[in-house]
Parts: sequence; structure tokens; C-alpha cells
Amino acid sequence: MGEIIHYILNLGSAIFLPLVMIIFGLIVRLPLRKAIISGITLGVAFTGMNIVVGFMMNTISPVAQAFVTNTGIQFSTIDVGWSPMASIAWAWPYGLLMFPLQLGINILFLVLGWTDTLNVDLWNVWGKIFTATMVSYISGSVILGFVAASIQVVLELLVGSATQKQIYALTGIPGITCTHYMVLQAIWMNPVAKLLDKIPGLNKVSLNADAMKEKLGIFSENSVMGFIIGFLLAIFAKYDISASLNIAMSVATALVLFPMVANLFMKALAPIADAASTFTKNKFKGREVCIGLDWPFLGGRSEIWVVSIILVPIEIGLAILLSKMGFNNVLPLAGIVNIIVAVPALIVTKGNLIKMLILGILFTPAYLFVASAFAPACTALGQAVSTIEIPSGQMITYFGVEAPLFRYFISYALAGKLNGIIGIAVFAGLLYWFIKEMKRRDAAEDWK
Amino acid sequence: MSSTMSSLTFNKKGGGERMKKIVTACGSGVATSQTVASKIDSMLEAEGYKERVEAIDIKGLDDIIDKVDIYVSIMPGGKKYDKPTINGIAFLTGMGMDEEFEKLKSYLK
Repeated sequence: MGEIIHYILNLGSAIFLPLVMIIFGLIVRLPLRKAIISGITLGVAFTGMNIVVGFMMNTISPVAQAFVTNTGIQFSTIDVGWSPMASIAWAWPYGLLMFPLQLGINILFLVLGWTDTLNVDLWNVWGKIFTATMVSYISGSVILGFVAASIQVVLELLVGSATQKQIYALTGIPGITCTHYMVLQAIWMNPVAKLLDKIPGLNKVSLNADAMKEKLGIFSENSVMGFIIGFLLAIFAKYDISASLNIAMSVATALVLFPMVANLFMKALAPIADAASTFTKNKFKGREVCIGLDWPFLGGRSEIWVVSIILVPIEIGLAILLSKMGFNNVLPLAGIVNIIVAVPALIVTKGNLIKMLILGILFTPAYLFVASAFAPACTALGQAVSTIEIPSGQMITYFGVEAPLFRYFISYALAGKLNGIIGIAVFAGLLYWFIKEMKRRDAAEDWK
Repeated sequence: MSSTMSSLTFNKKGGGERMKKIVTACGSGVATSQTVASKIDSMLEAEGYKERVEAIDIKGLDDIIDKVDIYVSIMPGGKKYDKPTINGIAFLTGMGMDEEFEKLKSYLK
């Protein structure tokens, strides 16, 4: 039996994942034809992702190296963005176990009445797999990785329930909330936001975010940002204009292709995710349940985009500054339009653009620091489960690492390190404060 | 931004009638819009419709909106288009899903 499992694991993720997917599909009673198509699509998605990451690394690694040599700025870690990270997470041998874990915890909590939120966002199960892999690497224990992932699942439900009315005020849609873990950062942002509330005048500033987004819109395009950053990297790495333009176009290509390939992952998982969520929704049909969704339904709020775009040059400045101080070795690249920091800021500031911008500036260092801290783990994982080739002396990570402080502190806490334990203790206190604050807003109808 | 598998060349119904182009879009062109697209696709397939929904990045939507027949919106408060629109969030939450699906079918006539 052990030999069979060993053989299957050695087939490589591109075969192993589809096999597990087909089995999952049959378990949720998909017709065989659909299960097989899902499985093969997953294998294609994974292989396709390897191709695009390989292309990007081949393009950018030599440029990054030359950049470091010519400028002295230590950007030895490549920000490949969330798409490759998701691919790597799914390929972790224990990754798919996170599906039943999340559903199980959610259903248990609903049955026990400990929550009224049903998280139907099964794509972002990968975010829990990622946490588990980081904790496993840093603590050395896969079991502790699953413990951390379970804590994250519970936190998402808690924060989702607590922010439901606030999110209704922001979007006008009743009965839903955002159970994406990026929102967990709001717990850290809350005290700072309360401080900003004390500054007279900040509340009065009203800006037309929609109009600003119209003007800035072009910079939210992956291709445009990728081109600009790629070009600047190459120029500062002392490539000539012709080479720099071509490198810029290659980077733009990678950044546009990443989400397209990630789309294939979604297509593969959709039938199973749908079957699982339909089953769970039917189980709780009579009850008033709040549906937890992924973040895009908040995307109609232009503030998110405006803040993310304005932050880009600030992020680069902070990245350089922090690298000189030794806290960072990542240049934001694929994830440079960092909506990951804007979304929790939106929720905690009730959509106040100026406060969101200030929070964005203050918290970007956290994303840089944790992305750098996780780089060795990400690199090791990437090399273990995929065919991505990372040249020695370089690492990969993703700058838009959601809930950076929670993930960092839980990793080190479970590894028994004091900084982590203190961090999680502080986090627990802030969590309590955050939920209290959301309840206060709900009671006072203070959502604007 | 080029379309994926549901490109118009393959969408010929019998009788020479071009199939309607249904599109949904979200912030990253990935997770949520594809989930909605897949859900609607399976519902359309179950009732014998040949149309499928294409999930694209919201930023590419402006460029192709002229060729779009039906828009599935999942970002409330986002931009409104002068095209038949249905509420995509209903397919994520299940609430109001059947009504929105009926609306979609009526637009497909």
C-alpha cells in the first residue's frame, strides 16, 4: 500500500493532482466524463503555470541579478504574484485535504451555532494551504501547519460575521460578507484607523473615487504595470534600450498570462466547488445564513483601485528603503497593484479614501517584510512540488501576501519562538477589540 | 484581450443565427468571475442551451462591451453598461439565483 502511494506521489504533481481531482469529482457524484475533464484541466493548469513561471524567471532572473550588481539594492527575491503561489499550494501533497477541513470546520461551527457564516469561497482554500506550508516549513511539523490553517478558517468565519453589516453598507448587497483572509489585516489596522479618526479634518475630506479611477485606470492593467516595472528594472540593470523594451514586453506578457492560467485552475475546481457548496447550502436551507464570498464583489468600490495604484511608486520607495535597512529583499513586481492592503483598509475606514491611503502606506512594510521572510519557504516549496527553476542566490515569493502579520506570527508561535507567541497574543487582543468595534458600529449604525 | 474557448467562429447555431455572447467580469478575471461562469454554464447545459459564459478581467470589458450581448454583473456599484444585465452575485449565494437564471433565458430568446 505504501509503495502504491509512493509511486503515485512520484508521478509528479501534473499527474497526481488530476488523479485526486477525478476521485474527488466521483465522490461528489460528478458524471465520470466531467470528473475526467476537471482532472485533465487541472493538470493542464498546473503544467501551463509552470511554463509561464519558467518564462518569467528566464526573463527576469538575469535582469534582477544585474540590477542588484549595478545598483547595490538587494532585490534577490522575485515577486511572482499569487497565481504561481496558488499553483504551488495546490501541488503540495497534503493540499487537497484542506477542502474537507474547511468545509468540516464550517459545518461544525454552523451546527453548533458558533457562527452564522457559510464560506462558499472554495477557490481560496489555497490560502489556507499556503499558511499550512509556511507553518510546516518554519515549525517543521505538518500537523502544526494544519492547526494554523484551522485557526485561519475559524478567523475568517468570525471576521466575516462581524463585518457583514459594514460590508452591506459598502456594497448594498444583503446576506453576504467577505471571508477572504486578506480582511484579517483589518484587525491590525483597526487601532491605527481609530487614531486617524481623532485627526480633525480627515473625516471631512471627500474625494470622488470614481472620477479618479477613470483617470488612473490604465495603470491598473497588468500589462501596463508589468511593462513599466520591467522596463525600469532593465534600465537600472544597465541593459540598453532595445533589450529593456523587450524585457518589458516579456514581463507584461507573463503578468497577463498568469491570471489566464489561474483561470484554468478555477475551471477545473468549479464543478467540485459547486457541488460541495450546493450540498452545504441545502443543508442549512431553513436558516438565515450569511454567505461568505471572495473579495471581487467589493471591486465596484473605486477606492480600492485608486489606493492600490497610487501606492505603486510609494511601494517601490519603501521596498528600496527597507532593503537598505535589511528588512526586505523583494521588489514588488507581479503583485505591485496591491489590492490586498486596500480591501481591509476599505472595510476598517468605511471607504474613506485618504485614511485608506495612509493605512496603505503604513502597512506596506508589513507585506514587504513578511514576503521576504517567507521567501526561503516559498522557494523550497516551489522547487519541491513544481518544475520551476530558481537560480541559486535567488528566491521567489509573493508581495501581496494576505494577512501577513497573522501568518508570520502564527508560523513562529507554533515553532515555539517568542516573537511569534507575543505577536499572536497581541493579535488575540486586537481581534477582540476589532469585533467589539464592528458590533459598536452595527449598534450605532455608524457605517459611513 | 482575446477571448477564450467561446469565440464567435464556433458559435453558429442551426439556421445561421449567431449565438449570444454572455460575459462576466471581476477584478482579477479569475476566481469569482470563473466560478459564476462555470455555475451558469452548468445550468445552461442542463437545460440544453448551447451558449456559454466567458469570464474576463473587468479592465478588458470596456474594450469589448460592444460585442457583448448579455452582461453578468458581480461588482455592484461598479460601472453600468447599456446592455441586458443580470445579477451574478445570485449565482454565488444561491439567493435569487433561479429568478436571475429565468431573466438570462429571457434575454437569450
